[in-house]
Amino acid sequence: MNNTAKAAHRVAPWTSRIGAVWYRHMRVYTKTLFSNALPPFLEPLIFLGGIGLGLGAFVPAIGGVSYVSFLAAGLLVTSSMYTAAFEMSYGTYIRMEFDKVYDGMLGAPVSADDLMVGEILWCGTKGAVFSACVLIVCLLFGALSPGWILLSPLIGFLTGVMFAVASLLVTTVVDNLDNFNFYFTGFLSPMFFFAGVVFPLESLPRYMLPLAEAVPLTHVVRLVRGLGVQGGPSFGLVHLWDAAYCVMFTALVGAWALARIKRKLVD
Amino acid sequence: MATNETVIRVEHLSKSFGALKAVDDLSFTVGRGTCSAFLGPNGAGKTTTIKTLYGKARYDPSPETRVEVLGFPIPARELDAKCRMGLVPQDNSLDEQLDVERNLYVFSKLYGLAPAAARRRIAELLEFMELSEKARSRVRELSGGMKRRLVIARALLADPELLILDEPTTGLDPQARHHIWDKIRSLMKTGVTVLLTTHYMDEAWQLADQILIMDKGKIALSGHPHRLLEEKIERFVLELYRPELMEDHTSPAAATFRELEEAGRARRERSEARAILYSNEESDLASVAAGLPAGSFITRRTNLEDLFLTATGRKIDE
Repeated sequence: MNNTAKAAHRVAPWTSRIGAVWYRHMRVYTKTLFSNALPPFLEPLIFLGGIGLGLGAFVPAIGGVSYVSFLAAGLLVTSSMYTAAFEMSYGTYIRMEFDKVYDGMLGAPVSADDLMVGEILWCGTKGAVFSACVLIVCLLFGALSPGWILLSPLIGFLTGVMFAVASLLVTTVVDNLDNFNFYFTGFLSPMFFFAGVVFPLESLPRYMLPLAEAVPLTHVVRLVRGLGVQGGPSFGLVHLWDAAYCVMFTALVGAWALARIKRKLVD
Repeated sequence: MATNETVIRVEHLSKSFGALKAVDDLSFTVGRGTCSAFLGPNGAGKTTTIKTLYGKARYDPSPETRVEVLGFPIPARELDAKCRMGLVPQDNSLDEQLDVERNLYVFSKLYGLAPAAARRRIAELLEFMELSEKARSRVRELSGGMKRRLVIARALLADPELLILDEPTTGLDPQARHHIWDKIRSLMKTGVTVLLTTHYMDEAWQLADQILIMDKGKIALSGHPHRLLEEKIERFVLELYRPELMEDHTSPAAATFRELEEAGRARRERSEARAILYSNEESDLASVAAGLPAGSFITRRTNLEDLFLTATGRKIDE
């Protein structure tokens, strides 16, 4: 054997280490593209058909927007939320405890931080892709009309990253797969219903509003609605607060989760 | 190939998990171009020791402790060390969904290999590990031995100076084990330093220049296997399957043995169903055997397993 690989005896820059981790997840995920790519298209269809059209017939327009369109805008980010949450809870846990994927990868010149940041960015990417899938379906069926809303995959990315760090934190706490049920039914499902996705925040009782402001989904839902569901964008001061929340949430929860997961990855 | 250069230097290494001291004040060195084998029962601290060498486990902080791999202090410069070493972990940790080639390609990115260089290297390694025909097969279609060879190929992607293998052949059939030993030997010929852990005496015997027998977090015995056998244990052993015959004071065998023992020419170890008698002289054991019923014993040369059991004790501690 000769020395074709000697060049590798230098530590790669962190960007390429993180990129390598991202690449691994992308490769494994796209290997089963058909079964992985169908749900993000099917889910919004089912929702829009079942709830939007069915239930929507009984619901008056919300803020001048038909119920189907109102719901569609919310689905742009909830699809990102769920895919990132699954990936970084069940997915990460299985990779860590059962498949021992990280044990192998940590033998290569990458750090535990590289591994997790790469995975978080992969979740962001999936969030963007899932948003884009919902967007395509909604555009095709006229639930959304083209405009600034075409930028929604960017908010999908942000959503993916936020729920990746939140789910990673949960993953550091659970000691078996079943415990994730609490996270999904206790945290994500209520958010789906009470963070402005299926009905506007204004309909919530006043005392619940602070709670709604405290959870991450509310902010990305408001941001995506700011892009304008039908017609042009309508940004206000509140969206600055939303953006600031997202940045702070990602930084704080992310740092906390990374510190905790490192104690699991490194004995 | 062996030189005086030290590739791994460990001084006063300890690692605790709560109250359990998995590794207890361990010191050893590994020279360039040599093969060292950690041998020890489960829970002896072999894997934990290896994990500290590449930053997968953090050792207990102490001013005396020093861990250096390829000249780099660990964990401060673990990435530099990992660029120049390959790791075969106990679990294969392969991407089952991907084919053989893709498994290697995905990993080549972690080492920062450029795509063209990676493809050349992968072709070389598949050839070397005799997996070329399986390049497009999915990992789950491979036999246990093939998977293990693939993990070794993966560890060799960056053409490492040091290869660390944690139980390289556990669970494999004899053919697959010998095949892997041959590959490790060819690597050693090219100057790669090898460090492995194993439960198998024959694996350590076949490959290692240095054996480190570990027990309860400490090195119980270390040295070149052939020299260890010469210096640390008697040359012959008699295994008696009816130990009660040694308890019977009237029996001639027991009397002969007692004489030898008192003269310091024989030694006895007990296990539940056997009496194990050691001596450097085959004739001494033959004189004991003369008083034993045929079929109740065998006499043979001692081997590494006898040494191992003597060093680590015969009790199963789990």
